[in-house]
Order: sequence, then C-alpha cells, then structure tokens
Amino acid sequence: MTLFEMTGLSASYGARMAVREITLSLPEGGFTALIGPNGAGKSTLLKLLSGWLAPSGGSVLFRGKEISTWNERAFAREVAVVHQFMDSMPPFSVDEFVRMGRFPHRAPWQPYDVHDREAVAAALATAGIGHLAGRAITALSGGERQLAYVARALAQQSPVILLDEPVSHLDIRHAVRVMDLLHERAAQGTTVIAALHDMNMASDYCDTIIALREGLLFARGTPREVVRFETIEALFSTVCVVFDNPMTHQPYTFPVPDYLKKK
Amino acid sequence: MKTVDRRLLASILIIGSLAAVLLSLSLGSGFISPLALARSLAGERDSFEFIVLTSLRLPRLCMALAVGASLAVSGALFQSLLRNPLADPYTIGVSGGASLGATVAIVASLSAPWIVLAAFSGAVAVVAAVYLLAMRLRLGGTALILGGIALSFILSSGVMLLFSLSRAEQVHRALMWLMGDLGIARYAILLPGALLALVLGAAAWLHARRLDILSFGGAFARGLGVGRADVARIFWLGSMLAALSVALAGVIGFVGLIIPHIVRLVSGPAHRRLLPYSAIAGGAFLALADAIGRALAPPYEIPAGVITGFFGGIFFLALLLAKGRNEA
Repeated sequence: MTLFEMTGLSASYGARMAVREITLSLPEGGFTALIGPNGAGKSTLLKLLSGWLAPSGGSVLFRGKEISTWNERAFAREVAVVHQFMDSMPPFSVDEFVRMGRFPHRAPWQPYDVHDREAVAAALATAGIGHLAGRAITALSGGERQLAYVARALAQQSPVILLDEPVSHLDIRHAVRVMDLLHERAAQGTTVIAALHDMNMASDYCDTIIALREGLLFARGTPREVVRFETIEALFSTVCVVFDNPMTHQPYTFPVPDYLKKK
Repeated sequence: MKTVDRRLLASILIIGSLAAVLLSLSLGSGFISPLALARSLAGERDSFEFIVLTSLRLPRLCMALAVGASLAVSGALFQSLLRNPLADPYTIGVSGGASLGATVAIVASLSAPWIVLAAFSGAVAVVAAVYLLAMRLRLGGTALILGGIALSFILSSGVMLLFSLSRAEQVHRALMWLMGDLGIARYAILLPGALLALVLGAAAWLHARRLDILSFGGAFARGLGVGRADVARIFWLGSMLAALSVALAGVIGFVGLIIPHIVRLVSGPAHRRLLPYSAIAGGAFLALADAIGRALAPPYEIPAGVITGFFGGIFFLALLLAKGRNEA
C-alpha cells in the first residue's frame, strides 16, 4: 500500500527552491535512504513528509490524505520524526524525554498509565540506554543522545519513522548501533525513512535508495541499481569507484583522492 | 539533580513563600507582629489591628499574590514558548499597550476601574496586533520578540506625547502607575481579577505537557502532534495573564523574568511543577516587595515595581556570579 504520494511536490525558502517538482510514491515497509550532496533537499523533503513545512507547489498525501488536513495528533500516532542534533535543550531526564513519545496517545491532560510506562521501558531497552534513564539528556554524549532521540521515536510506537541524518556526527560504534536498531525495526514492519550522509551506510542497511540533487529526484532504486560509479560521480560531481562490500555484498563507494588522479 | 535535593528545595521554596506572605501582613506603615494579627482575628472586630488587616493589608496581599503569580506564570510560558531565557511577560508589547491605555484614562481623569479597563484593553489590542502580524508573516520566536520591542517603542512615544500635553499631577499619577504600584485603589476589581488569574493559571497548567514538548522547539513539537493551535492558545494564555497583571497593578518589572529562572533551579524543566511553583514564588515575592515598599519610608509608599527591580536585580546578579563560579 502507498504510504506517501508526492505529486509535483515543491518547496522553497524565499526565492530558493529547495525541492522541485518531485513525483514519487513511497510504499509501506522497508528501510529507505535519502542521499545526495549538502543542499540537495533531503532535509526539506523530510520536513514536507513530516508536515512541518507546507509545500509551495504540488501535493503530498499520507495514506491518501493531504498531510495538511491530517489532525496533528493523529498524524503523530502514525509518523514519528527524529530531528537533527538539537544544540539547546532543557535538562529533562532521559526517562521524561522518552515519555514525550507517548503524548499523541493520550489526551494532553490525561496521566500516563501502565501501558505508557511499558512502552517507555521497552523503547529504552531496545535502544540499550535503560541505564541512562535517570540522567539529564543534556549530560549525555552525542551518541547516547542520538540513541535517546531514537528511543523517544520508538516509544511513539508509530508505523512510520522519519529521521534526519541520524548518524552523521556519531563515531562508528554508535552509528552502527543506531543503524542496526533502525534495520531491526524495519525488519519488524516499521517503515523507516532516513536522510543519510554516508552512502555506504545507506548501501549496507537500506532496501531502497532515493538520490536527490539540487532539489530534483535524481535516481531511485535498490542499492545495486543506484550505487554505480556513473550515478554517484554525477550525483556528487566527484570521481569515485564502487566495489562490493565483502561482508554485506552491497556496493561500496570509494572516493578517489586528487593526488591519485594526477598520477 | 537528585530527587531528595529537589524535594528539600521545593519545601524551602514553599515555606519561604509562606513566611514572606506572613511577613508582608506584618509590615507596613506600622509593624504589627504576626501574633498580634492572629489575636486580632480571634478578638474584637473593631480593633485597630483588625481593621488594618482586613480592610488594608489583606486585600492588598491578595492583589500582590494574584499579580505576582500571573506575572511569573506568564513569564514561564513565554520563556518556554519563545525558547528564550530573556523573554518575559512584556516581551511582546503588553506593557506598552497597557501603559498607553492607562495613561489615556488617567489624563482623561477617569476613575480607577476605568483605568484598569483601559490598560487591559490597550494590552489586549497590542497582543492582538502582534499575533496577527505573526500569523500573517509566519514569524518565529525572535521576530516576534523584535516586533514586540518595536511596537513598545512606538507606544512609549505615545505615552510621552500624552505626558508632554498633560498637567503635572496627572503626569505624576500616571508615572506612579507606570512604576508598578499596588496602592492606587483598584480593589473594586480585585475579586474578578483574582478569579480570572486563577482560571488562566489553571488553563496554563493543563498545557504543562505541551509546554514541555514545545520547549524543544516547534519542529520537535509538531512531530509529537503539538501544533499551531496549541501554540496560539498558550500565547494567548500568557498574554492575558500579563495583560491582567498590568491592568491591576501597572508595569511591575522583573517578577516575570527572574522568578521562573529561580524556580527552574528547584522545579526542573517540567512545567507541571514549574508553573505552580512560579505562581507561589511570584506571588510571595511581590507581596514581600510591596510590604517592604510600604515599610521603608512611611508615610510614603515606594511602588512595588521599584523594590522588585532593585532586589530582583541584586539577587539575579548574585545568582549569576554563583553560577559562574560553579562552572569555572
């Protein structure tokens, strides 16, 4: 079943068109990566899909209904959003922060019940940060914080999770943990859509890659279909070679340093 | 911070507030000890203490509590909503509108209830203007603050224009009002004012969880289903609380800015505690400030706004210095 249906979707910030006439439908299920150079429109597209940004042209439907016409709380029960690293946050405890994911499931003044507490505990356990529950999120390291963001989205128990660069500033240990976690959710039926900087992460973990360039849809397909040196070179305007990752057997991109090209 | 620490701090806050309230009943042009006050309540209905207490100090205390609580809660709402620690109830121009409204009424020699009404209308008109501007331009927090400041300048020019055209005693009356004073007889509307403050405060408290989420920013909040309608409602609740307090007692500075800051150290960031604690501390602080203003130089009354600014400023500086030393 189609989840997101984009038709001629455009978005602009003032005079700058960040997303231009994208027509694309995203089916339910799977792990989809949005890739492309900085400023390609990945974050903007996610903002459109999450309803935070209104399209300047075209339309985007979620389950057949224009996103702007969805009730905000009902939409939040369907779609969880993990934003890019937030630099200023109030010092809530990790537990309180993750519990915010339960907000759309209760009337705003209704106390949380056993079911909510269980969802929070499960989310913390899945993210492997149960031991940090009492700490202030502001006191966590970057990697732990990102896991807390993801745990908050898991507590939301929505069938869809959108993530904006969830691993771009993490060390490989935390990056792999987050990606493993998302991969597992996708395997269990959650639709995961993430903007990713690291193409090799996208290739290793995702079923579908959508490449954007200058706000336009550039390529779409499986990693095997999209991650080819011609495509990647044109996408990033950089010389590179593509080999298979010996473990995952997915295409792996190696940029070619300038000093080699001169030889 | 550990739960035990927080509980201890919360107890200190509440006991301190109670003490401040009791002290504010004792202080005034003449000191009446709390014991004498209690005895007067039990004893003769026509004793000097009883009359001073019931007809002068109690209504004034209630006024201070209502106004201080409204200001502190309003400040907490705006600081979270605009995600700006320097936001206060007057940030969006409420005080400018109220000042102009009140000055017009005072210059026109209207009676106290009309001054209150004019101030309230002025405040609401300005908030409505800021709100419509924000909706039309889809302004964010910073632009809203800047818009409010710009509007405040325009309105204060209006106030000064009126001053330059008025007689000296009217200017003095208006100035006293602008300084934030609980003394100008406004008891006629104390009861409806206090009731309105209570209703608005309770409504704000029902938004505690939404405020928690909004303090992480608009995009984060939207992702959890807290949308523009919620933001608008909180904006109006904060504005009405501010408008109400200015209408009742003039422009009292600093309560709305510092009280939420100090309270946050005790309550933590969660609004279900932050808002009621702010109300208690704000009310008690203003009551004490007003009492000190009455007691300092009788028979003169120093406007409460002068005291809150002075002691609030010193306290805040001390807090900053202590914090700086901790972090260094």
